[in-house]
Amino acid sequence: MRIPKSFLYQLIIAFIISCILGVLFNNLIVNLIRTGIGINFKWLMRPAGFALAETSLPYKPSDTYAWALFIGWINSLKVILFSLILATLLGIIAGTARSSSNLLVKSISSLYVALIRQIPLLLQLFFWYFVAFLSLPNTPLEPIGKLLSLSNQSLRIAGVNISVEFCALLIGLTIFTGASIAEVVRGGLNSVNRGQWESFRSLGLNERLGLIHIIIPQSLPAIIPGLTSQYLNLAKNSTLAIAVGYADIYAVSDTTITQTGRAIEGFIILLASFLVLNLLITGSMNILNKLVMRIK
Amino acid sequence: MTKRLIYGLISLSVLLAGCATIDTASKNSRLDVIKNRGVLRCGVSGKIPGFSFLDGDGQYKGLDVDICKAMAAAFIGDPTKVQYRPLTAPERFTALKTGEIDLLSRNTTFNLSRDAYQGNGLTFAPIVFHDGQGFMVKKQSRIEKINQLKNSDICVGSGTTTEQNLNDEFQRLGMAYRPIKYQDLNQVIAGYLQGRCKAMTSDKSQLAAARSSFSNPNEHLILNKTISKEPLAPASIGGDQRLSDAMRWVIFALFRAEELGINQNNIYEKLNEAKTNQNLSSLRRFLGVDGEIGQKLGLPNDFVVRIIRSTGNYAEIYERHLGPNSNVHIPRGQNNSYLNGGLLISPPFK
Amino acid sequence: MKFIKKNLNLFSLKRWIRNKPVDFIVTMFLMLLILWVATLIVSWFILEANWNVVSDNLDLYAIGSYPADQKWRPMIWMLSLSTLTIITLTWRRKGILQKSLPWIWILMLPSGLVLMAGGPGLIPVASHKWGGLALTLILALSSAFIAMPLGILLALGRRSKLAIIKYSCGIYIDSMRSVPLIAILFFGQLLIPLFLPVEFDINRVVRAILAFAVFAAAYVAEDVRGGLQAIPKTQVEAAEALGLNPKQIAILIMLPQALRTAIPALTNQAIGLLQNTSLMAILGLVELLGISRSLLANPNFMGRYLEVYVWIAAVYWLICTSMALLARRLEQELDPNILTIKSNEISN
Repeated sequence: MRIPKSFLYQLIIAFIISCILGVLFNNLIVNLIRTGIGINFKWLMRPAGFALAETSLPYKPSDTYAWALFIGWINSLKVILFSLILATLLGIIAGTARSSSNLLVKSISSLYVALIRQIPLLLQLFFWYFVAFLSLPNTPLEPIGKLLSLSNQSLRIAGVNISVEFCALLIGLTIFTGASIAEVVRGGLNSVNRGQWESFRSLGLNERLGLIHIIIPQSLPAIIPGLTSQYLNLAKNSTLAIAVGYADIYAVSDTTITQTGRAIEGFIILLASFLVLNLLITGSMNILNKLVMRIK
Repeated sequence: MTKRLIYGLISLSVLLAGCATIDTASKNSRLDVIKNRGVLRCGVSGKIPGFSFLDGDGQYKGLDVDICKAMAAAFIGDPTKVQYRPLTAPERFTALKTGEIDLLSRNTTFNLSRDAYQGNGLTFAPIVFHDGQGFMVKKQSRIEKINQLKNSDICVGSGTTTEQNLNDEFQRLGMAYRPIKYQDLNQVIAGYLQGRCKAMTSDKSQLAAARSSFSNPNEHLILNKTISKEPLAPASIGGDQRLSDAMRWVIFALFRAEELGINQNNIYEKLNEAKTNQNLSSLRRFLGVDGEIGQKLGLPNDFVVRIIRSTGNYAEIYERHLGPNSNVHIPRGQNNSYLNGGLLISPPFK
Repeated sequence: MKFIKKNLNLFSLKRWIRNKPVDFIVTMFLMLLILWVATLIVSWFILEANWNVVSDNLDLYAIGSYPADQKWRPMIWMLSLSTLTIITLTWRRKGILQKSLPWIWILMLPSGLVLMAGGPGLIPVASHKWGGLALTLILALSSAFIAMPLGILLALGRRSKLAIIKYSCGIYIDSMRSVPLIAILFFGQLLIPLFLPVEFDINRVVRAILAFAVFAAAYVAEDVRGGLQAIPKTQVEAAEALGLNPKQIAILIMLPQALRTAIPALTNQAIGLLQNTSLMAILGLVELLGISRSLLANPNFMGRYLEVYVWIAAVYWLICTSMALLARRLEQELDPNILTIKSNEISN
């Protein structure tokens, strides 16, 4: 008589869940009818009518909402990709610095992690944007000739123009995520047996070579899962772009929702675009993981 | 044991489903909801000096806020029974639609697509402030015309008609530009002041309000050109005639009181005059001594008296928040009664 | 302080340069950098910073626009929270105080809610008047209070043998974890009313708390699941052999151990939750960051970003750090044999 009982439980649970969902859905329909909102996606093909400051692909205000949202998504992808690379570098440096034999290096990296991780990202972004970047002088600084010019409107490196909004978001995300990655890296390095450190030291390898050739490869299996979840956090945190005026997917869908009044559809699109971002990240990390495992 | 559980569950879900359907059946006007609740939920900006601003003592003040108070005085009888919900531009319509707020009194431009059934589906009350969009630049930039803003960065608030007007105007002029969009006006101001943009654009009243708060207002220039009409009006959800009628006539009452010279100081005097003198029939109707103008709207007959004694007439509200002695001085201009050459006029209270 | 001694001792300095030139250059470079940054910071603090924007508005940062005549209520609450934190961190003697500490901690949330909202003998204060640090703390504590049990249930549910429970918990956890928090909060603030019966109104603060709670619960669930997985199979088998039923095994054997293992991860979640309450500044609540933004819009304080940001960063840092310390203390309390665990870690 064991199976029927568990079957009964499942039936009850399924019933409760469908009841709750049903009531919520019923309310939604009632509210949609009452306020005349309705659900459709036809508006996606209408011209957006707003300009975007930052476009990686050709875009003009007469293009469709769908295209505007896609541009926003590409902008998200851009900032995520760049800060992912930079944060990884920073995280590895700071994480390995914490097992450095140099006490000063060690304490600087501990200070960095302890400070950055205990302050909200949003506040840090405000700081980078309103205090750091907007306080730059209006006329471009050119510390090394024409190669690099820096003003409170844009950063120009070797002829490529980058907006300060992008820079502030990039730096804010990089420094914040870098601190978390440093912790992941440190955890990974600690997971490598102490004996391994002693053995390469006794072989006369210097610290840097030993770290690169012996310790890091061994700690990768422990690091990669943590890294994946930090990358996912980074992607999610990139939506705070809205605070510094960068046109990412959340900012563009926000504008779209206001102009069209299509909150639910806009929300669904936002969620779907995040699903794709997440799949991209987890997918490539899985490939990386397999590669690492194979090398091992 | 399991039997009881199942019965319980069934009755619970029936109850829940019942809740949902009972509510569908009721087709109350929001006006009744407000009256029963005894509190008006008013969506405001909370960040625009002169219109709605959190004062040092933690109270909201401004023209938009006084409109909320006038509504509460008329609907509930007490101008203090208002809950202010500070809303950002992007969230204001959703808040109205979902019923989080009863009405919106937040520098909202009255236009076709916001009003229309197939658009945002709102209903607008009469225009309480005639505004127009302009640009503010730093004097040292020596910019005097919009043409000179070609290819520059322009700070603008996101999710506003401002953004669309900006786009329309620059498209018309065939000029490229980069909009730097922020969530709220304070950030727009900060971005402009710190030199992120050559110019900031917003309704001229807001530009004036912002400039008045700068440490050196003389260094900034509001360009003469007005690129749009921005008639600002309170709004409520569409299809609720009783609420929208009541709102409409509360605002007309503010205009009409100014036309008749009735203000906060002389309201009781005028009321006595109306009560004693049978010949002043239009005044008697307006103040609810005769006739049933209030009742037709679902309001008390003396709703005009309640409004004027709480907030004063339109001129008093304007003087208080936007007059020469306020922090934000904006000349009345178009926002004057038609008797003084302005655009404000009230239909007859008959 | 070793490196200073090293520097002072000329003999070893020479040896240091000879043996590790890179190390020496890096150290010198960093020292100069630190010196430079420190001078900048100190000169800003003394010469440029104008702390009026902080000192004139301490009340606003603490409680927002809470009615002035009632301000003692949130103040007392926050004061007792900080006293309790200090006592917990410093008082090591066993005694009645030590034993009653957990109970006092548990009482802090309800007492805070009663003090803030009003209750027996206290004038009600509507939640839209709450603000500042008090609101930040209420948001974080209440949502953590809901997220914890919810997360534990979800974690147990995900390990259930019943397919429906297992998969619905799994779907919930994974989908919640793939969505940015700001989207959930946006949903909570603007779209939840669409899913509720008409005129069924829950206020803004409660909606924010619920949104934070359902979000955090998914993360708590994953951390608890990690703790559950760390429990050796033999323990369950032993408990079964003793005749305990599955419910007893879950509550008496698995959960206490899983939670203890999960404390570091859960602490990170709690700190993250507190930091994330700052997102409500974008969505219109005047918690600590929100009130700072309103202040910066005030003509008198316009442009004093750095002072305000440094000040509230310090406040956040202090709170988050004391949370981390409290969690470490809790870990020590709960763990009778720290040594064994440490040795396990090393051998792994």
